[in-house]
Amino acid sequence: MSSDYEYSDEDGDYYYDEDEDMMSTQEDGSAPSDDEMDMDAFGDDFKVPQRAARKAYEIEHESLPQSAVEKLMTSDVDHISGIFGADASTAALLLRHMNWNKERLIEKYMDNASVVSVAAGISRPSRTSLSPSAAGPERSQSTSSSARSGGLRRPTRQTPVPTPKPAPFVCPICFDDSQTAFSSLACEHTFCAGCWNAYITSKIREEGEHAIRCMAEGCALIAPDLFVRTALAEDTPTWERFNELLVRHFVASNPNLKYCPYPSCTYTVSCPSAALKSSLTTVVPSVMCGATASPPHKFCFGCPIESDHRPVICGVAKMWLKKCRDDSETANWIKSNTKECAKCQSTIEKNGGCNHMTCKKCKYEFCWVCMGPWSEHGTAWYSCNRYDEKAGIDARDAQSKSRASLERYLHYYNRWANHEQSAKLSVELYTKTEKKMEEMQITSDLTWIEVQFMKKAVDEVEKCRMTLKWTYAMAYYLEKGNEKELFEDNQRDLEKAVEDLSELLESPIDAEAISTLRQKVTDKTVYVSKRNEIMLDDTAKGFLEGRWSWNVSVEGFD
Amino acid sequence: MDARLRRVNKEIADCKNDKSSNIKIDLVDSSPFHLKGSFPGPQDTPYEGGHFEVDIVIPEAYPFQPVKMKFITKVYHPNVSSASGAICLDILKDAWSPVLTLKSTLISLQSLLCSPEPNDPQDAEVAKHYTTSKRSFDETARYWTQIYAGGSGSRSKVETKEPSKDEVAIAGLEKAHVDQFEALGFERSKVIDVLRRLNYRGANVANISEDRIVEELLK
Repeated sequence: MSSDYEYSDEDGDYYYDEDEDMMSTQEDGSAPSDDEMDMDAFGDDFKVPQRAARKAYEIEHESLPQSAVEKLMTSDVDHISGIFGADASTAALLLRHMNWNKERLIEKYMDNASVVSVAAGISRPSRTSLSPSAAGPERSQSTSSSARSGGLRRPTRQTPVPTPKPAPFVCPICFDDSQTAFSSLACEHTFCAGCWNAYITSKIREEGEHAIRCMAEGCALIAPDLFVRTALAEDTPTWERFNELLVRHFVASNPNLKYCPYPSCTYTVSCPSAALKSSLTTVVPSVMCGATASPPHKFCFGCPIESDHRPVICGVAKMWLKKCRDDSETANWIKSNTKECAKCQSTIEKNGGCNHMTCKKCKYEFCWVCMGPWSEHGTAWYSCNRYDEKAGIDARDAQSKSRASLERYLHYYNRWANHEQSAKLSVELYTKTEKKMEEMQITSDLTWIEVQFMKKAVDEVEKCRMTLKWTYAMAYYLEKGNEKELFEDNQRDLEKAVEDLSELLESPIDAEAISTLRQKVTDKTVYVSKRNEIMLDDTAKGFLEGRWSWNVSVEGFD
Repeated sequence: MDARLRRVNKEIADCKNDKSSNIKIDLVDSSPFHLKGSFPGPQDTPYEGGHFEVDIVIPEAYPFQPVKMKFITKVYHPNVSSASGAICLDILKDAWSPVLTLKSTLISLQSLLCSPEPNDPQDAEVAKHYTTSKRSFDETARYWTQIYAGGSGSRSKVETKEPSKDEVAIAGLEKAHVDQFEALGFERSKVIDVLRRLNYRGANVANISEDRIVEELLK
């Protein structure tokens, strides 16, 4: 098995490799796969071994469960507590105060430890103006005690502060004289255990706050973790929520990390190569968290617009969506959801299936995308992905110019929306395919495993339609030229392949021809997948090389 | 006994026993969690002589969450909404501490009347008035205190005034200004509305041309 991995270093060979793996699942399911990718489930039954070489359109990222993030936090805390000679709780409060920026913390702390300690809620501000002698690594603990003995008991404000416990101490919050357990932070503002518990619970549960201040008015001291833990006593769910809040704060402070945006998912994704805003002009950071969910939790590390908008970078994708929202709406709904038969003009709404249309009324066969006769599409000069700029002839006329620009936009928009529409119908397609797979098992002697090729093909079609969808957004903004020609060549090849495969999937099942169909579909799936790979790979490389130029100014480009 | 109930009961009792602070807390209905607080306007302020009532609602999580307070009495103050009585005060929000009591919060409200914070306003129009002309603001605040908070002083004088003057004074405007534009043939209420919106008060009068006002009035 291990030789398999070395072999797959080459892009091309690897590709077929994957497909073979898919066919013989049993062996590969037990293949020793890398730890990180262990949870990745491709479909329900296929374990595809980890890709040994990262493709240009893939981004290196790592999924971290909450425990791993906690480990990162602990190591930062240990580092700081080692340098400052402070205990872990203090170091954690300092780090949280500085939003986990270690360098800045060290710099500031070395500069003036007492100011940082006060700001972080570790010690109270001393009345006597800060004496430089007090500054030092040991300060956080020593001052809080020295401050206490140094006559700081007196309240700094007009606030009612508990007088030092007279014999039967009554908590100034609940006035319950039956309470026996009391505690306080370093400021010695003492309250009963019940009030602390209710207060901390309310802060964590209601306000989602991880920095819990002392209950006394105007006191800025923050409860260290150990204090919170003790105060919460048996309330483990709240303690867990507290830890989650800490993790969220840590993740939010670190540009390399992002919390998985899926509801109630606790995974974090680390993606250092997409941390900088500037890097988003060269990579499309589509990442996936480690949760074993179906569908897997895919999201874009750089933007919240769509989970996977490869091959287009975030800035362009955002621009395109904005344009679609501004320019389309109702008028375009009709334009994009219905079309008129080129022959008999009856209005047609496509609700599924491939792009080979046959008018119900007049039986005219045409391509849904370009509305041209279908007869052309079976041949080598498939060219329906390209915008035909014949409008350039009468471009002198200003009116026709603006019409041409709208037409140009609608050309891309229609193709974009078309693929989006197909994706929305995917649920339907899946149920249809499932039925077909059952039918195949009945009519032929194929086993369940052997008919999975259909599902795999549908998966591939869906995936490629997403790529295709976004290539139209990209093509709309690409500057005319050789690069764009090449881009559109790739686009055309992919689209043609996808349409062919789609049509194969739609074709009726003939008991005798099943084995031929299976062969065809399997081959086509491989081919389509290959084309998709080329499309993504070439575009991603183009971004890295700065090969693409735009016809508008794009965020991040000069 | 429920901790919240015990605490509120004690607070009400403490307030009753304390005669020196002049702060009163009364029940609104049978529930101890919906109360009405009241205090006299602080001395040497436009609110002096007034009696201010505050609606108090004790939330479920009290004292760990802040009480909800708003003025029942209409108050002309930058940090109090002149329409709803909503109060902008830090201790009623994020600076709340469980050791604060109803009494101490009401005292804070009282001191808020002494020291307005126009840079963090609840009522932008009032705050604008405060910053452009403190003197004119004081007059209006005093006038509101007389009318709404039962302020003593010139109460008899107030009653003898014609009702239209009240509107002008309530808006903190000069009668001469209103009369001037009313003479041009505009409705009095509209003139008051526009002048108030443009903050035609105190030193600001010089900054706003009459043409501008007429323009607004014609809209």
